[in-house]
Amino acid sequence: MDIGRFLLTSITTTALAFVVGMFYAGFRRKITARVQNRVGPPVYQNFIDVVKLWSKKSNITHGVMQHLAPLWQIATSITTLMFIPILVDSTFFVNLTFKGDLIFLLYLMVVGSLGMALGAGEGGNPNSAIGVTRGLTQMIGFEIPWVMALVALMIQHQTTTIVGLMDVQQASGTWLMFSSPFAFLAALLAMPGMFRYSPFDIVGAPAELASGPISEFGGKYLGTLMTNGSIFAFVKLVLYVDIFMGGATNLVLLVVKTFVLYMFPVLWGLVSPRFRTEQSVRFFWGWPLFFGLLGILQAAFL
Amino acid sequence: MSNLVIILAIFGWAILTYLAFKINKTLGNVFVGVLALALPAYFFTYTPSDYTVSVMGMSLQFGFTSFASLFAMLVVVLSSFALLYSIPYMNKKDRLGWFYMNFMFSVGGMMGILMSKDLVSLFIFWEIMTWSSYLIVIYQGKKVNKVGLKYMIFSAIGAYAMLMAIVLINKWSGNVNIEQFFASFPNYSSAAKLLSSLLLLTGFGVKSALMPLHVWAPGAYTKSPMSYTAVFSGALSKMGIYGMALVAVNLYVHSNMPIMGEVIAWAGAITAVLATFWAIFQNDIRKLLAYSSIGQLGYIAVGLGIGTELSVFAGLYLAILHGLFKGVLWMVVGAIEHRTGKTDFRDISGLIKKMPFTFFVALVAIIALAGMPPLSGFVGKWMLYESMITSNHFIMVLFIFLSSTAAFLYCFHFLYGLFLGQQEDEFLKDVKEVPVLMMIPMGLISLSLIAFGTFPGLIFKPIAQAMSTLGFENVTWRMSSLTNAWGNSMFLKPANFMFMAVFVFFLIIITVVNHKKTKKVGTKDIANGGEPIRDEDNLHYSVDIYRPFYRVISPIMKYKVETFYKRISKGIEEFFQFFRRIYSGNGQTYALYVVIFLTALLILSSTIF
Amino acid sequence: MVVANPILYVALPLLVAFLLPLFGKIHKELIRVVPGLLFMFLIFNTVVLFSEVTSTGKPIITQIAGWAPPIGINLVFSAFSGFIAGIISIMGLLVWVYSYKFKKVEFDNSLKYFVLIMLVTAGSIGVVLTGDIFNLFVFLEIVALSSYPLVAFYRGRDGAEASFKYLIVGAFASIAILLGIVLIYSQLGTLNMAEISLRIGEMPEKIKITAFILLFLGFGIEAEMFPLNGWAPDAYSQAPGPVGAVFASMTAKAGIYTIIRLVFTLFDIDAGYQLLLGMGIITLVVSEGIALRQEKLKRMLAFSSLGQMGLLMIAFGINTKAAVVAGMFILFNHAVIKSLLFFSGSYLVYNSENKNIKDLFGFGKKLPLTAFLFGLGAFAIVGLPPLSGFWAKLSLLMASADSNLIALIALILIVSVVEIVYYFRVVNGLYFKKYTGEFEPHKPSWNASLVMLILAAVIVTVGLYPDLIYNYFVNAADALMDKANYIQNVLPSNFVGLN
Repeated sequence: MDIGRFLLTSITTTALAFVVGMFYAGFRRKITARVQNRVGPPVYQNFIDVVKLWSKKSNITHGVMQHLAPLWQIATSITTLMFIPILVDSTFFVNLTFKGDLIFLLYLMVVGSLGMALGAGEGGNPNSAIGVTRGLTQMIGFEIPWVMALVALMIQHQTTTIVGLMDVQQASGTWLMFSSPFAFLAALLAMPGMFRYSPFDIVGAPAELASGPISEFGGKYLGTLMTNGSIFAFVKLVLYVDIFMGGATNLVLLVVKTFVLYMFPVLWGLVSPRFRTEQSVRFFWGWPLFFGLLGILQAAFL
Repeated sequence: MSNLVIILAIFGWAILTYLAFKINKTLGNVFVGVLALALPAYFFTYTPSDYTVSVMGMSLQFGFTSFASLFAMLVVVLSSFALLYSIPYMNKKDRLGWFYMNFMFSVGGMMGILMSKDLVSLFIFWEIMTWSSYLIVIYQGKKVNKVGLKYMIFSAIGAYAMLMAIVLINKWSGNVNIEQFFASFPNYSSAAKLLSSLLLLTGFGVKSALMPLHVWAPGAYTKSPMSYTAVFSGALSKMGIYGMALVAVNLYVHSNMPIMGEVIAWAGAITAVLATFWAIFQNDIRKLLAYSSIGQLGYIAVGLGIGTELSVFAGLYLAILHGLFKGVLWMVVGAIEHRTGKTDFRDISGLIKKMPFTFFVALVAIIALAGMPPLSGFVGKWMLYESMITSNHFIMVLFIFLSSTAAFLYCFHFLYGLFLGQQEDEFLKDVKEVPVLMMIPMGLISLSLIAFGTFPGLIFKPIAQAMSTLGFENVTWRMSSLTNAWGNSMFLKPANFMFMAVFVFFLIIITVVNHKKTKKVGTKDIANGGEPIRDEDNLHYSVDIYRPFYRVISPIMKYKVETFYKRISKGIEEFFQFFRRIYSGNGQTYALYVVIFLTALLILSSTIF
Repeated sequence: MVVANPILYVALPLLVAFLLPLFGKIHKELIRVVPGLLFMFLIFNTVVLFSEVTSTGKPIITQIAGWAPPIGINLVFSAFSGFIAGIISIMGLLVWVYSYKFKKVEFDNSLKYFVLIMLVTAGSIGVVLTGDIFNLFVFLEIVALSSYPLVAFYRGRDGAEASFKYLIVGAFASIAILLGIVLIYSQLGTLNMAEISLRIGEMPEKIKITAFILLFLGFGIEAEMFPLNGWAPDAYSQAPGPVGAVFASMTAKAGIYTIIRLVFTLFDIDAGYQLLLGMGIITLVVSEGIALRQEKLKRMLAFSSLGQMGLLMIAFGINTKAAVVAGMFILFNHAVIKSLLFFSGSYLVYNSENKNIKDLFGFGKKLPLTAFLFGLGAFAIVGLPPLSGFWAKLSLLMASADSNLIALIALILIVSVVEIVYYFRVVNGLYFKKYTGEFEPHKPSWNASLVMLILAAVIVTVGLYPDLIYNYFVNAADALMDKANYIQNVLPSNFVGLN
């Protein structure tokens, strides 16, 4: 592969993800405010915040792991991004699309969390550690239906790659969310957990835990984390779109599809109170798990 | 040189070491060091040749198959590292000669098992390994009857199940040669097939701590000195896997009994889930690792039980890898115990400040254990998942995924509880980094874990050779990529290099930018709701840290197979207590017995004779 | 042969036993020295005779008083009986070395002790070698009569009680055996075992069976068969330490020998084997189970010993060549290992009043060698390789498998687990329980240590290289199983009648 070309596309992809993700976060803040009958910040507020954080006068760290924690996160997000097809049959956004498969992505996506967990742990703030344990517990909850959905798709279409699943949708002309509705439901219900939006935001709840894992991060560290958050949100959305909604043939369509999808956790979160940790795990092991099972049954026997 | 020489040399050396320690501790340590260096040097350079001994009319054959030499490699590497590590670790303990002698006996036992080509010598070495490890389990003299005896009883049950299988095989196959047993197995009656293989599986299952035969493991792993536990859990338990692989693949996969393979795989999957759950709630580091070991061996059993080419490959890879990373982790625990004298999460925190090297190797090993890219654990996990998905084990894959995800909980607990969190001056002031001789083994194994993450081909080669003994000829492997049965591939090099490149890029940015404005502060300087923390306040979060998760899964945590065993053993003892009353101690009663016996025989004489 | 002769086995110990008081008058030390010399000679005797048996492949038959069998009394030294006689003499020597200093203090005691040991030896070897059933009864009585005082050797209430129990049950044995012999003699008019064996078919079926039952009962008592062994645990545990070994390695061997001869040679009743097998199984399970619940060391060892006798009965009850070979191996192991356990065990509880297991806790540090050897014996008897117990167990299991006794294999192995539990409890206690300090350990004298070391060396050597003695077992089994050969050798003239 031409290294220069690869650099160009990967940086473009990252930049795209960053910008889109930042705006989505801004929209979320705006929408939240409107629902709560506030004016809310402008949609570009997050850009301002990142710049502000990077130019803070003091950046506190408690040690090496905390120093590295945001890097785990952002390295994970960007690497994941490289493995996800941004557009259908795009010759530009190739990146590393053909080099890995879904199992790899599943695992890669949690690497960042564990790195962050270690960084938060080193901070020594009990709130961070509590947040981390809650986050990990919740992860066990939503990963199961999410994996069930993926396994259902994989065994039905005899492929473990995203590209393979996208090809299936291209060939059949139907999105997998329609041909495998149960798997889609399971994955969709797992999504708010993945985003840690309400009602699954006990992990970093500002009121109970003083923001949990990120409570000891400030300045450039928090700035990196925010950057990462936007990229990762985009990664997850594109992944869902690729797998269940047939991907997108151009960027506009991509933005539309991801935005629609994004509204699901955002809007659900607005009207939900917070779950306790075990409540959220029980939630994920309830209906989502059931749908996941149906999805697998459908894939295996239909 | 014949194979038998290695074993005899190890046994002989063990006794010499014992005597050397009687003379002088330094001399003894020299003996230990010499074996630690000579063992790999000899093993990796000699050319094997077969050897046959005739005992009591049976011919006992010795020689390595390529499958056995894969495991022998693990045993040799891990044992020699653990022996090196032992020298400083055990320094202050007494009865060192006894310890090292049994250590070497069990190493010799393992090598003997691997080079046995017949079941009787395998059993002999199996028992040598068992009693020598038993003697080490009780070496520290803690809970000898509760833990040691439990280990011995379960080992005996397993070993005797195996012995029963061996004598039956001797009858049905006409001899005890392993290969001939496999060759004649298809001709067995179906009852014989089931009985012999189930008995063998019980035997091997006990050593590999497969549920429900695992109850000995947490205690035994915990009570041995950590330097031995590294071998115990890393290599010795793999002897069970070694046998199980032979049975599962040679007997079930190649003899059209795949249903039995499924049984093994399911036992493995359930073991993996439950053991992981138990590991999460342990307060003792050693218990955590012990349950984790049980769970990890469950994965391996899954791989072997499914019995496709990829799954067996994954099982063997995980077996080797588990030996390596669990070896490191036990050594890490040993290091902490050595320097702080504590093994309870509630007594330890913030060791990263004083033991950064130990933390680093622990981090590497934990990432490998968790199966995350870019380290080697991921390779095994990938192959295992893909083999399950491509062979339609879609419910089992969920169990394994649940177990792997839940494993993150104890992985985090391990790193956070020991090394991170609040750094207490009171606790840390006397703590030092471990001596170099303890660092070297941990460091070298960790390096290999990193290397295998991107270039797993380095150990794929011996595994592929080993597969040929199991009947999978010409297994293809590549240095840095993986392929599943559907032809989907995973390229490790671009993925890992990408990750590292981004990591390094941002590392530079985040370190350089605002460098002057970055300040490192202690762990007492944290956000605490506006209330400043004093030095003596300890806010370390270490008690019951996974309570919410416990509430979720409490219904299944209530059942312990251990209570069931306890009930059985109590019942047996009470039953025998009843027997005991027969011997009343009264001469008249005994005379009465004689009369009754005579009368009974006379009355029944027409039916008996 | 002039020097070596089977008669010497019986004649010399009897002679020495009677002359020992006289020797004592000449010089006190002779009491202790002469038995040793005698045992050495007996071993020499064994070696010479054995080499002859091995080279000719025929048993040595000696007639007493010049009358040829079936009229005269004869001694048969075959590969089977000679082997057991050899074990008894060697164990006799070891017991002698072990107890050389044991009774140094009191002249009377040491005289009594060695006289009784001589008598037990003479009786046991006589039982094994004789070819005449009445003679066998006489020898058995000698064994029993000299065992009673050995049990009650320490003059105390418990010893006397144990001895008395032994006496009661032993009396039953005598009566039963005598009745059985009378029945046979009344029908066949002969007491020669070979001739009985040859003509047993002539007996009316009912009388034959009754005689068999009576003899089975009588010999079963001596062979410590359940439920006839009520006397045994008390006798083992009340007798002085080395006497436990004497019982395990001499009298019990004589007892099991009688029952084997009864089933294998004397009678032609097939159900006899099954009866032996069945009783063996019951004995094994009950004894090992009870051993698990014992609190006193010697009683535990005693019950374990009974279990081993059960194992022996099983081996011989299976009645295949492989099983009999295994039986011989177990017999050998039982003599060696159980003696080691009794020897070392009696030192461990030497000063303890109740001889409880918990009294020896922590003795691993106080008596390192004794405790180690006890541990080795425990490892060997539960059958851990590479010690000799393993090979015996393996060969028995293989023999059972050959006879399709799968359930029996499982049973033996389950019982072995029980065995592990109670032996390892003691070994763990020895090394890892806190020393209570109530009892001062009694250091074994050098001669006792030497004996224990020799036994341990035998256990390890045989364990590492069983072929060293395996052929003796095979020959012994051949000699036992070949009934026709036995008859032919004893009664060369009458052999024609069998065909």
